[in-house]
Amino acid sequence: MSIDELALILVRGLGQGAIYALIGMSFNIVVNSSGILNFANGTLMILAGVLAFLFLPATPGFVGWALVALAIVAFLFVFVLLQGVLTLFPLKSSVEQHSWLITTMAVSVIVSACIHLYGGSLAFRVPPLLPPVSVFGLSTPSAYFLLIGLAAFWFVMIGWFHKNTRAGLAMSAVAQDLDAGKAAGIPVRRIQLYAFGISGLVLGTTGFVGAPVINISAETGIGYLLSGFTALVIGGLGSNLGAVVGGSLVGVLSMFAAYRFGGIYQDTVTMGLLIAVLMFRPEGIFGLAASRKV
Amino acid sequence: MSQNSQLASADRSPVQGLRLPSMVWIGILAIAASILVPGALGNQYWSYTFTLVTLYIIVAVMQNMLVSEAGQMSFGQGAIFGIAAVTTAVMIGLHGQPFWFSAIGGLIAGLVLGGLFAAPALRVQGYYLGFVTLSAALVFPQLLIALDSITGGVNGVPAFVMSLSTPLYGTITPLSLLAILAMAAALIFHGILPHTVLGRRMIIVSNSPEAAQALGIHPGTIRSIAFLIAAFGTAVAGVLYVPLVGFVGPTAFRVDFSIFFFLAVIVGGQGKLLGPLIGVWLLYLVPNVLLADFSHYRLLIYGAVALVVMLAFPDGVVGTVSSFIAARRGGASKVAISLNDAFDHDGKDVQADDRAEPNGAVLISVQEARKSFGNAVALGGASLTVKEGTIHGLVGPNGSGKTSMLNTISGFMTLDSGTVKLFGRVVTGLAPWRRTRMGLGRTFQTPRIFDRLSIWENVQIGREGYGRGGDAGRSSKLEVFAAKWRDQDPSLLPHGQRRLLEILRVMESDAPLILLDEPAGGLSTEERTELSRLLVHFRDRLGKTILLVEHDLSMVWNVADEITVMETGTIAASGLPENIKSNPKVRALFTGGRDA
Repeated sequence: MSIDELALILVRGLGQGAIYALIGMSFNIVVNSSGILNFANGTLMILAGVLAFLFLPATPGFVGWALVALAIVAFLFVFVLLQGVLTLFPLKSSVEQHSWLITTMAVSVIVSACIHLYGGSLAFRVPPLLPPVSVFGLSTPSAYFLLIGLAAFWFVMIGWFHKNTRAGLAMSAVAQDLDAGKAAGIPVRRIQLYAFGISGLVLGTTGFVGAPVINISAETGIGYLLSGFTALVIGGLGSNLGAVVGGSLVGVLSMFAAYRFGGIYQDTVTMGLLIAVLMFRPEGIFGLAASRKV
Repeated sequence: MSQNSQLASADRSPVQGLRLPSMVWIGILAIAASILVPGALGNQYWSYTFTLVTLYIIVAVMQNMLVSEAGQMSFGQGAIFGIAAVTTAVMIGLHGQPFWFSAIGGLIAGLVLGGLFAAPALRVQGYYLGFVTLSAALVFPQLLIALDSITGGVNGVPAFVMSLSTPLYGTITPLSLLAILAMAAALIFHGILPHTVLGRRMIIVSNSPEAAQALGIHPGTIRSIAFLIAAFGTAVAGVLYVPLVGFVGPTAFRVDFSIFFFLAVIVGGQGKLLGPLIGVWLLYLVPNVLLADFSHYRLLIYGAVALVVMLAFPDGVVGTVSSFIAARRGGASKVAISLNDAFDHDGKDVQADDRAEPNGAVLISVQEARKSFGNAVALGGASLTVKEGTIHGLVGPNGSGKTSMLNTISGFMTLDSGTVKLFGRVVTGLAPWRRTRMGLGRTFQTPRIFDRLSIWENVQIGREGYGRGGDAGRSSKLEVFAAKWRDQDPSLLPHGQRRLLEILRVMESDAPLILLDEPAGGLSTEERTELSRLLVHFRDRLGKTILLVEHDLSMVWNVADEITVMETGTIAASGLPENIKSNPKVRALFTGGRDA
């Protein structure tokens, strides 16, 4: 393998990995405050991409682009917030795993069925905002660099939010000990809904910014969902640093597999990674073992 | 010990209280009729459709078992069905193998993929397995196309089995009968399962993996077994699909196909025996047959119905309906058990000279145990020694590390440093269920009582889990107790009584060494006196060694041979009760406490 090929795999892998890292972070926000993993995350990100396809004008100026972006991200915020209301509704006191697995999965099925009704199995193509960048003489879509920047942005922002805002501090408290948080008078339900909303912001920006390089169609959400979750399992559930490290790893490895064996094996490699990590290091390669609760 | 052991064997059949619920027969009759009636009338289309639907019901029954007994979610059963079907079809259609041989190949392929689900299930549970199974559902159809040289690729494989498709009468074929037979077997299996040892273990594992470990059950093994059983049943359906449809194409088993089974179980009602039947009939027949024009909206309808069902019936259809009925009855009256009913205990206090002489062997020895979570120190170098044949009281204010100590001994908490010995053997890194099998029993601060099991079954699992209980020590009273509570619902027990039930369970396990975590919480004064007497009875007559964590200090001082006082993760004092009582440090610790 030449140095050019390696650079290509690395750059595109890291770009794809940024998508997985961002999905991983959107998992983390919700899981840390409620123990819920949103199975609709992949499809929701695809939804943002479909909206970008629908509403971006053919040759967007910067203002038009920014307005559409704002609208889509705001829509995702509200949509995922409402999904949070639905998901939390059946959970009266305890976190009952069955109900949220089912409700989030059902939302994923509904959203992807709607996309399918609109566009069939065809992929939606969204034109890039910026021209491609040349890396080692190879033309690379600019969206990959925007995605890496976006992942860095959310990584810093979420960290800042957790440390410096009241809602963020309350979220960290709830993440560490739900019952203690309740006892301290934190409105746990509201905090959990904020978390859903913020995860919607992350997914909305990811789907929009990544639209030119994301495979947008009714069936592809699950693949992104699994890659994002695999990234988390590798990096340690709940850790955003883990999401970034795990995401990059999954991105580069699956890009390598796609390059070497063909794109059709990309998900197979991800599945292999997921099962291997769960078998041999369920607490994650970089994560800390969760303390047992009795 | 007990002189009544001959009585004890009266009622020890392996599947105790086994009755097949009438729902099983109703289901079998309904499905048999759905295939045989159109078949006898010679209606090719309907007998074909209902045979196909019946195969799907088998898959859904297996999925239902996974959800309701094993508590595990699978989004990948369609892939197992698919791999069994494809393997069978390839062996018949491309390699000309006979059906029976190909069927075995299909079953093995299904089990291999099931093993891929079962292997991570050894280590993790719940949503992790949801993702693993979903990834298989996603990857399987991709691999079918990628490996087209083996699988026939996009063109699919035709495979006919004449011997199974030749009509016997009307359009009833041997295959229709096989489908009915397989479905009946699946339904009967699911009907019997909750009344078997395996079924009870699945229920325990899914409700409380900690309680399972404390009963000596390895939760991962039980989860894996559940996945393998489900894979087997699903693979049988997948194999029968081949001769029925006569063709296996790669597009038949996409992710939607797996999700269909999952949603069918949810819509039909998880845990309900007939849930899969109703769910598959509703979700398959309505959009595909009755509203064929709307089949585009199929997935949308599936998703929406599942969402509505979950929001309208948060406890599942069965749970919601049964709690509604309970509420209409004005709430069944509370019941109360008494431990006194369960043991041959004359009610008199044991005289000191009756007591078996303790030989002084050390059963529990914890040395310099340290454990911290971040900055919070749970144990800061605490040591504890418990001698055989004694009741050892462990007291201290809230947060002093009592429960951490219990968790260290039973293995639920791994130490940062220090050693733990049980029965003279170092067990520091040993898993909790292995310690249970060495002869350690425990109860929990929040009692682990399973409402899906009857009151008696909640006791019985103690014996089943530990797996070495003899009849020794089993009293004739216990037989009466068993008969009385065989079918009673434990949700009618008040909280304190649930603790007593757990104590009874741990006594049934026949473990010589028992850890009790606040057993007197929520008990009345009379019940406390009763419990104190019984603890002495357990020690003196049944030879038990007990480590007792309790807030009721007068109770501890009444029964304990030795007392250890903990404070902020360390040992404040340890020794004979009378010495502890006069220890000024201890007095200061409990000033303002309830007693001492």
